[in-house]
Amino acid sequence: MRPGRLGGRIWQQRAMRLRQYLSSALLFLLPFAVLLALWAALIPWFNVNPRLFPTLGSVVAAGIESIRDGTLPAHIGASLLRVFVGTVLALAAAIPLGVLMGVSPAVSAFLTPLFRFFSVLAGIAWIPIASLWFGYGFGAITFVIFNAVFFIVTYNTLLGVSTIPLHVRNAAASLGAGRTAMLTEVLLPGALPNIVTGIRTGLGFAWRGLIAAEMIATNVGLGYMLFVARDFYRTEVIVLGMIVIGVLWLLLDRLLLAPLERRTIERWGMVQRA
Amino acid sequence: MTPLLKIWSAYVRLTARWPSIASIVPFIPLFAAWWIVTALEIFPRVFLPGPGEVWQSFVSLTWKGILPEYLQDSIVRLAVGAAWGIALGIPLGIVIGMSSRAHAALWPLLLFFQAIGDIAWLPILVIWFGYGLVTMTAVIVYTVIFPVVLNTVLGVRSIPVNMHRAALSLGASRARVLWEVVLPGALPNIVTGLRNGLGYGWRALIAAEIIVGTSGIGFLMFDARRAGSVVEILLGMIILGILWYMVDSWILAPIERATGQRWGLVGR
Repeated sequence: MRPGRLGGRIWQQRAMRLRQYLSSALLFLLPFAVLLALWAALIPWFNVNPRLFPTLGSVVAAGIESIRDGTLPAHIGASLLRVFVGTVLALAAAIPLGVLMGVSPAVSAFLTPLFRFFSVLAGIAWIPIASLWFGYGFGAITFVIFNAVFFIVTYNTLLGVSTIPLHVRNAAASLGAGRTAMLTEVLLPGALPNIVTGIRTGLGFAWRGLIAAEMIATNVGLGYMLFVARDFYRTEVIVLGMIVIGVLWLLLDRLLLAPLERRTIERWGMVQRA
Repeated sequence: MTPLLKIWSAYVRLTARWPSIASIVPFIPLFAAWWIVTALEIFPRVFLPGPGEVWQSFVSLTWKGILPEYLQDSIVRLAVGAAWGIALGIPLGIVIGMSSRAHAALWPLLLFFQAIGDIAWLPILVIWFGYGLVTMTAVIVYTVIFPVVLNTVLGVRSIPVNMHRAALSLGASRARVLWEVVLPGALPNIVTGLRNGLGYGWRALIAAEIIVGTSGIGFLMFDARRAGSVVEILLGMIILGILWYMVDSWILAPIERATGQRWGLVGR
């Protein structure tokens, strides 16, 4: 076959795939368009008090206004920065600790209940004490996020490492794998699907914890924006904040975490489990 | 090394006979460490009180009747919210799972509204319903319903078409297909959704009590925070942890396991 034709076919396939992608995206967005249309039509129709629920126009106006004066980007930036810092610190601590504990079955069996207990407490329950220890602000909120991610990821890493079948480890050892090779070739890849699942769950809790913590313990961030707006009955700002929170999490979860989880499981999850 | 090994083997034998011990013993070293750290006063007492003080406040709060009342309030709220969430979520999930049109129309919306998260609803719920039981129940129902619906939909859609066809060709009515094929087939997923939903609902309850509460364990903790009393915060955290640990590992996890064993073996 001539290379030109092959190239043409690849282009055709790509175009088709793009069209499929676009049509499925359109299908995904259609219900939202209906919802927005209903919102735009029903609120003026029933003459709802704007103190109870805002009109679509006022929310859009509030959005444009807050982007123009820079408050919305500032709130979003503050929230995302906290999540990012807390998560990175938690992962840096949790994964090595989880692997270390998971290597020995005795240690992991002994410590599992402890980590289950603390992953139950993850997130919101730490807010009061975090705000006492670190004062209101960045420290307390990052601590809450750190906690939400740390315990769940450690627990999952522990679980992942300790469920790697013994014969896989024995096989690697009898092929002459040293400690580092064992770590990088058996333990980490074997535990990776669990680790990624843990990250996704932990971030889910952390995101909720973030919003709750920001309502209580800070003066910038999306949760704060919602809570202050409530004091002035500015429902348009509240609804704007809710939409921003929903869209951000949807993007984070669907475009980053879910594909990451799927790829990891496809790539490393096929290992037989004992 | 031998005495250590002997202790360890005795421990392993003990836990093999009474598995519940294995979930208690690991807390002993933690308690000891906590006690030592506070006894040495590495951190100021005000920031990290010892186990003794927490125990004292537990006894005195129980004696005054505050703790049992708050505990009851929290549990009742969770139970009411969860009951509504389940009662609404399972039928909704089955409808969405069985009709592909409903699925196309509602699935994106479900994902989006789940993403908004319970806690973000608190401010507007407070405006609508004021501070009180309705607001908290609404938050919990909202939290519980999404994992239940999403998992029910997944469960219903994962039932092979051939199962439907087999039941239909054996002369089953639609109601019977629902009762004998769809529900049992989706049950393992439904229970998983229930467990996740209650886990999220529990946390949402704490957040709601912290922010808008007038009673409950979350309120106890936040009230203590306002008064600067770490003792009661720690007490609240311990109670929350123990309570959820018991509910999850003694009630929910066994139910999930049992359902998985009974109905999860259907060939997919």
